[in-house]
Amino acid sequence: MIAMWDNLFRNKDAAAEVREILKGTYIFQDLNQKELKLLEGMVHVRIYKVGEPIFRQGEIGVGVYVLKAGGVEISIENPEPNANSEEPQITVVTQLRAGDFFGELSLVEDNSRRGASAIATEESVLIGFFKPDLFEIIERNPSMGSKVLLRLSEALGRRLRVTTGKVRELNKEIKNLKVTDGQ
Amino acid sequence: MANSLRNKRLFLVNLVKIMAFVGCLLGLLLVVLKVENMLLSSLLAFVISYLLGPIVNSMERWGVNRVVAALLSFAVVGLILTLGIVAVLPLVIEQVGSLKQELPKYVDGLTRIMTDLQTNAEALVGSYFDIDIAKQVESAVAPWTQALFEDLPAFVTKSITTLLLAPFLAFFMIKDGKILTRNLLNLVPNSIFEPTLNLYHQINEQMGHFVRARLLEALIVGIVTWIGLFIIEFPFATILALFAALTNLIPYIGPIIGAIPALAIAIINGESNFGLFLVGSVYLTAQLIDAAFILPVVVAKIVDLHPITVVVSIMAGAQVLGVVGMLISIPVASILKVTVSTVYRHLTDYREV
Repeated sequence: MIAMWDNLFRNKDAAAEVREILKGTYIFQDLNQKELKLLEGMVHVRIYKVGEPIFRQGEIGVGVYVLKAGGVEISIENPEPNANSEEPQITVVTQLRAGDFFGELSLVEDNSRRGASAIATEESVLIGFFKPDLFEIIERNPSMGSKVLLRLSEALGRRLRVTTGKVRELNKEIKNLKVTDGQ
Repeated sequence: MANSLRNKRLFLVNLVKIMAFVGCLLGLLLVVLKVENMLLSSLLAFVISYLLGPIVNSMERWGVNRVVAALLSFAVVGLILTLGIVAVLPLVIEQVGSLKQELPKYVDGLTRIMTDLQTNAEALVGSYFDIDIAKQVESAVAPWTQALFEDLPAFVTKSITTLLLAPFLAFFMIKDGKILTRNLLNLVPNSIFEPTLNLYHQINEQMGHFVRARLLEALIVGIVTWIGLFIIEFPFATILALFAALTNLIPYIGPIIGAIPALAIAIINGESNFGLFLVGSVYLTAQLIDAAFILPVVVAKIVDLHPITVVVSIMAGAQVLGVVGMLISIPVASILKVTVSTVYRHLTDYREV
């Protein structure tokens, strides 16, 4: 009996903890307590072991993940194998910590494919929020849906800006290399 | 070494999770199939929740609490249905009563038609096949029609249990369906979680469209048939329209089955060719209105099944579960199609990004 009550309170604590993490996530930061409660009822909390993939590059993706605890490595696979080995080249793009989110493009893209792989580097707890849930929010609570969509667009725009910056830097580097070659 | 041990443990965990998930689904299926009245009640509950779900969502959009919205929509729809039944029931009872009285006349008429048919056929091919069609028809139809009225009380009792249980189940499906689905999905291993979630939502969405589309079609066909039969002052208009609406739920074959009783009654009553044409026109108009206004709007959203698949599914459904099987054969075939194509796509369709 005590165990049951303990479990009940722990469940309540866990729900509050999930709401806390979601409130601190960029795309959900504008939501009020009532909206966070609705969101908490929709998200899926998943536990991943060390080395377990969350998703792989090229797979169909339907949602964004928020890292509640643990660590996740995002890497991309170059399909062209290295000249010295048959194995495809893997480049680690970033290491994520608690509070980070990833995979948000698949929330808005139709038939979205994962552009990178995500693998748990330690035992991790992730909160998954998926496209059908976003549609349900838009249908059931449009003002809440707008808040999420606005922040989501901002996040995607920010990533686009970073990518554009990188492309510009790479273009500059290529130009410099051509100039050096010419000399 | 450590990696392979980790992979082995992960495989074992995933296996246990898959078994638990499949076990839960099978357990639910067993309860639905084995507990009396459960299959029909849960099917009806799904239909109710698919019909009322969007209404509850709209009310929630206006700021009404979900539980209050569900209670309100149940109360309002219940009231409308009760008023409708109260208005239509006396007509149905009266027509069922007179049909029961006139039934021997129709069985005789049917036998007479069959005898004429046999005489004509014999005149054509000679009496090579010594079969007495009329006798066979009479011996087949008479007990069936007798049983129809004798079984009516038991059917009504069963329907009342179903009619009470279904809204009860539907209310909790609307209120707590999300929690139940989430708990069930918690059992799915991480490796197939996203495809399973995606599949669930696809099925859910398609079933919603399917149920709403079919019921809307049935309602419109029923109303048009009713009005048409009333205008041409045809007997038993209400029960014939109800029958046409119900059989219309079965694709392709349903509309034909729906028209047969009216045409049979018209022939037995010795209606003129013009009379037969009028009865046929009523049913045809109902189907044309359905085809012109309803199908183009809703069909695009329903799983695209080939007509042969539809007919084979209906036959298979009828063989396994009778009339209920015929009604659920198309959704079940659609679920199978979506499931197989999604699983196949997940396993084979990998693209370089």
